[in-house]
Amino acid sequence: MASSILIKNEARLGLKMVAPAIGIIGLLVIYPILFNIYLSFFDVQLNGTKTFVGLDNYSDLLGNPRYYHSIGVSVIYLLGTVIGTTVLGLAAAVLMNQEFHFRNIARGLILLPYFAPVISVVFGWQFIFDPVNGIYNHVVVDVLHLTDTRENLIGNPDSALFVVILFDIWKHFPIAYLLLLAKLQSVPKDLYEAAAIDGQNAWGRFWHVTLPELKFVIATVVLLRIIWNLNRFEDVYLLAPNVETLPIFTYYQAFAGIVDQGGAAAISVIQLLVLVGLIWLYVRKVLKW
Amino acid sequence: MMNKRTPIQSVILYTLVLALVIFCVFPFLQILSTSLKHPIDWGNPSLIPRVLHLDAYKELLGLMPAKEVDVPASIQRLLDNPALSAEKKQALLDKFTSGGDVFPFGRYMFNTFTISLITGICSTFLASLAAYAIARLRFPAQSLMANGVLFVYMVGGVLLMVPLYQMSVNVGLASSASGTILSLFLIYLIQTLPVAMYMLGNYFRTIPFSLEEAAMMDGCSRVEAFWRIILPLSKPMLFTVFIYCFVIAWNEYLFASVFLKQYQDFQTLPLALQTLFTSKNAIWDRIMAASMLTLLPVIICFMLANKHLSGGLTDGGVKG
Repeated sequence: MASSILIKNEARLGLKMVAPAIGIIGLLVIYPILFNIYLSFFDVQLNGTKTFVGLDNYSDLLGNPRYYHSIGVSVIYLLGTVIGTTVLGLAAAVLMNQEFHFRNIARGLILLPYFAPVISVVFGWQFIFDPVNGIYNHVVVDVLHLTDTRENLIGNPDSALFVVILFDIWKHFPIAYLLLLAKLQSVPKDLYEAAAIDGQNAWGRFWHVTLPELKFVIATVVLLRIIWNLNRFEDVYLLAPNVETLPIFTYYQAFAGIVDQGGAAAISVIQLLVLVGLIWLYVRKVLKW
Repeated sequence: MMNKRTPIQSVILYTLVLALVIFCVFPFLQILSTSLKHPIDWGNPSLIPRVLHLDAYKELLGLMPAKEVDVPASIQRLLDNPALSAEKKQALLDKFTSGGDVFPFGRYMFNTFTISLITGICSTFLASLAAYAIARLRFPAQSLMANGVLFVYMVGGVLLMVPLYQMSVNVGLASSASGTILSLFLIYLIQTLPVAMYMLGNYFRTIPFSLEEAAMMDGCSRVEAFWRIILPLSKPMLFTVFIYCFVIAWNEYLFASVFLKQYQDFQTLPLALQTLFTSKNAIWDRIMAASMLTLLPVIICFMLANKHLSGGLTDGGVKG
């Protein structure tokens, strides 16, 4: 009897403690997700007026070449950034797992890009690729003489996409590195010793010991990168607003030019479905609930 | 594994490490260098300025002496006309003095700092309650909540911008400055709460239950045990989570741009910097100095929290 009261009290206390946080999340995340689905069937103005249009937003969207273009851009962006961050993160983790002087300083410094505010580093990158003053054009044109003309890489959407990818790799490889390093440090030393006795050189040890041990974490990193970068907005928009990935396209639909909030809602609904699929994969395969 | 390296291996190792560090740090050096360069020096590819030029910082921090007003002769004649009222003269003068030339950096810094601080405190507090309950107490729908948090955490802001904007329009918050700021604060809360809960939940699980048990044997209630034992023990992690939330709010651009566009006085730094960059006053040294000053608090936070941050991120949430 006493224990059932205790259980009840504990449950009551627990609910009280989670209530504020869960309440806010429910009101401002769960409800908006549902509201978004509702809005996608309406023509929605910025001032809140709505007219029911059925599936028009979806059919407009599926007939809009800009939508497919932005999907294409997003796919290239995802491929480049996911592969880039994972490979560089892995290389950095292997490197930083060696012992050398000033290792702690080096480990701290390579985390800087990850923590720096996007807004305060994009202008540095803009400057590097600036056609007049930038170091990039200086090196390519004046030092290496690869081309004769100074190019505005960020001004042209096609080349800007690659600058954006490079920027994203620079900014986000540290998180891949942190995850991989944490796992790398727990790989038993005797595995390497055994491989060395078997006559494996450094590359062989990496290939036969490190990679298999890290397989699982690498899969996690890849999946998480896809999930995060599918929604990535600031890094792309602030560096090169002319690179139209899916989130940028949604933003333009919703808040710029001819405002089409219902259309933007429709894009978000489709994107959410893809995202839920990916999260499901993450939960099932990686977290194994 | 710990066998001695050959000299060649050492050289390769240090070269690779150096290359990686330069890759990471170079853009920061570029920003610092350009912020200290005189405009005539921008084309100079060297990172070291020929002359140290601090005007951009002085200007942003309001240390520049007010510029002499340069009024064209025709306007001066108008101003000398006694028939014109004092107000009109002032209005005319203002056109030449302000001219959108002053960038109220201090004000934006204050706005950003305030909203980040409040977000960080509220989020850490609410998350610590919820995370403790989810980690330690038994109650209905507990595992659903624990898993739901992770899901919520992965739904990005872009997917929520339209419905959240429409909601704030519908309840009338978007029509006033205070309502807009309240909306923005609530949005920053939900952007930080899930990750804060996740990080703290994982941390609380590492604290031995016997500590609370002992406290409760001594007559503490559950709440007291949480308040007196768990929270003080978690201070480093609470601080890390606070910093993490603070930095998320400090960096946020998307919602600030959606909500604060017409409330210029309340804009945060990311939005204001973007506006400055696209305006006619876009001068590299100024932009870079502003970037540097925006970066500084984050670097300080980062250095304060570095020790726990790396661990907290990999064990707990993974935001990226």
